[in-house]
Amino acid sequence: MSASQSAVRSRAEAVKVSRTFDWLILFTLFFVVLGGYHIHYMLTGGDWDFWTDWKDRRLWVTVAPIVSITFPAAVQAVLWWRYRLPFGAVVCILGLLLGEWINRYMNFWGWTYFPVNFCFPSNLMPGAIVLDVVLMLTNSMTITAVIGGMAYGLLFYPGNWPIMAPLHVPVEYNGMMMTLADLQGYHYVRTGTPEYIRMVEKGTLRTFGKDVAPVSAFFSAFVSILIYFLWHFFGKWFGGTSFTQSS
Amino acid sequence: MKLIKDKVAKLSFVALLVTVTAAMFYAPTASAHGEKSQAAFMRMRTIHWFDLNWSKDTVPVNDTMTISGKFHVFAGWPETVDKPEISFLNIGIPGPVFIRQGSWIGGQLVPRSVTLELGETYEFKVLLKARRPGDWHVHTMMNVKGGGPIIGPGKWVTVTGTMGSFVNPVTTLLGDTINLETYNLSNTYFWHAFWYALGLAWLAYWARKPIFVPRHIAVEAGKADSLITAADKKVALGFAVGTIAVVAFGMSSTNAAYPVTTPLQAGLLRGMKPIELPAKTVNVKVEDATYRVPGRAMQMTLTITNNGDSSVRLGEFNTAGVRFLDPKVHTDETGYPDDLLAEEGLTVSDNSPIAPGTSRTVQVTASDAAWEVYRLADLIYDPDSRFAGLLFFFDEAGNRQMVMVDAPLIPSFI
Repeated sequence: MSASQSAVRSRAEAVKVSRTFDWLILFTLFFVVLGGYHIHYMLTGGDWDFWTDWKDRRLWVTVAPIVSITFPAAVQAVLWWRYRLPFGAVVCILGLLLGEWINRYMNFWGWTYFPVNFCFPSNLMPGAIVLDVVLMLTNSMTITAVIGGMAYGLLFYPGNWPIMAPLHVPVEYNGMMMTLADLQGYHYVRTGTPEYIRMVEKGTLRTFGKDVAPVSAFFSAFVSILIYFLWHFFGKWFGGTSFTQSS
Repeated sequence: MKLIKDKVAKLSFVALLVTVTAAMFYAPTASAHGEKSQAAFMRMRTIHWFDLNWSKDTVPVNDTMTISGKFHVFAGWPETVDKPEISFLNIGIPGPVFIRQGSWIGGQLVPRSVTLELGETYEFKVLLKARRPGDWHVHTMMNVKGGGPIIGPGKWVTVTGTMGSFVNPVTTLLGDTINLETYNLSNTYFWHAFWYALGLAWLAYWARKPIFVPRHIAVEAGKADSLITAADKKVALGFAVGTIAVVAFGMSSTNAAYPVTTPLQAGLLRGMKPIELPAKTVNVKVEDATYRVPGRAMQMTLTITNNGDSSVRLGEFNTAGVRFLDPKVHTDETGYPDDLLAEEGLTVSDNSPIAPGTSRTVQVTASDAAWEVYRLADLIYDPDSRFAGLLFFFDEAGNRQMVMVDAPLIPSFI
């Protein structure tokens, strides 16, 4: 067979090769995204995602969507504009969550014995699904950034509340009131994470009484819009071929 | 010759692989906390722990023990370390092998950070409940914001039993008693599994058809719009509406199930009550201090003035948790860790009782291998080559008086 001849000899064979190629790329993409996104999210979201006593109604709600919309926006740009595939955000979150769960279960629990109910990851899937659907239905980066980015930020807190609410039940402990999440942080000793490192309930948002989570979510949503634009452009640039030499 | 070289190279490579593989099977437990690596001046000139007591050496799982004692916040706190204005009474253990059931400073529960005053002495207690079997080095520890963890003395404690039997019952303000060890776990797994499955379903919907090559060809040919069908749009809309509906349902049903929730509690605790020490009647002036590197000994020239009404003798020098005792004056009966106790480590040139109203200049030597073992000798490499410690004097009735000393330290290499 010469170099100019095709490696496949029939349409059926071409389809088979194409499908094999699909799975190879999807598998590789999944684990590359898992690794890169996981490191990114651990470095930027870090303790807010690690511990229940960091998952508050102000900063966790604000920080987590802003720092996690990054990779979904970039991967969407590649998969949508190159392949018209609307699962960029979901595949990112699937990878991230798999990596996080392996980390939390094998490392946090398996090595250092922190109970899983204290160190489970945040749920980012609702926002990712909506982000993908908005891009697919509108075929517009701008609308996806504005509507999808907004939805990504807004859905974060309610999407996590069913998991977090039981840990916000109050408890009286030696004369002080705490939530069960606070108590987890106090009981399960973290030598390198003293209480003062916790960045929770800080800020000047004091005029909304107890209803600060929606306000924080809206702020997070607005910033998520901007971050979406930025990372969508990163993705477009990264997914381009202008930097390769044409033959 | 080349053949032999090739064979040697090949065998060396195999030997290297075997060594690396074998090394993977040897992974001893790291049980200590780098306490010896912390800069000596940090341990000598910040928090001075004393009168420490570990209530038990062996604890079954689910049983409790306490660490109690006192700590003095050094008035000459080093400039290179932030002041202890935001501090947290921690415990130095390798992860949650115990749970911290309570911690108190001056009788006040301190689950949060506190403000400590320089020059004051505080009483503390930490209540621990055994969780994971093993031999654990249990340290006192004070985290200081901007200063890092300041680790105190540690003692080996053995936890017996099985971790599977550990329970952590807590009664909420609503009257429910839960096991915090496993509470909310199935709920967490359920929601994560549900959303993960939904994400996988979305991915599977698109992955069931050719993904990359044909779609890329179509996009390049300007037929991108044909790749999204009307059915795809309906399915996508279904996913989006379903997602929002599930989120809304989850939120409302959770609020119905948990009508009373409170925000995370945070804030600094001020006004920790220090110990009211009796008026000091012994004054100590450090005339000079040297550390003899070859002899592992610190020598001080002290001028001691007794302004009290009872004669006193120097019985102990305590620095960085290492206790140097003069056995003729004072012996330890608390079970203090052996490696931190120099039972005969304190020598005073004239340790006869110092009568009231008199002064005496004496040569005091604190010598023990602990200087080297605990790397306190490394003080000479620190940015602030001063030493500090607690001197304990004993009067005729056995009453103890604590005096803080702080002075430059000159190393001697010969």
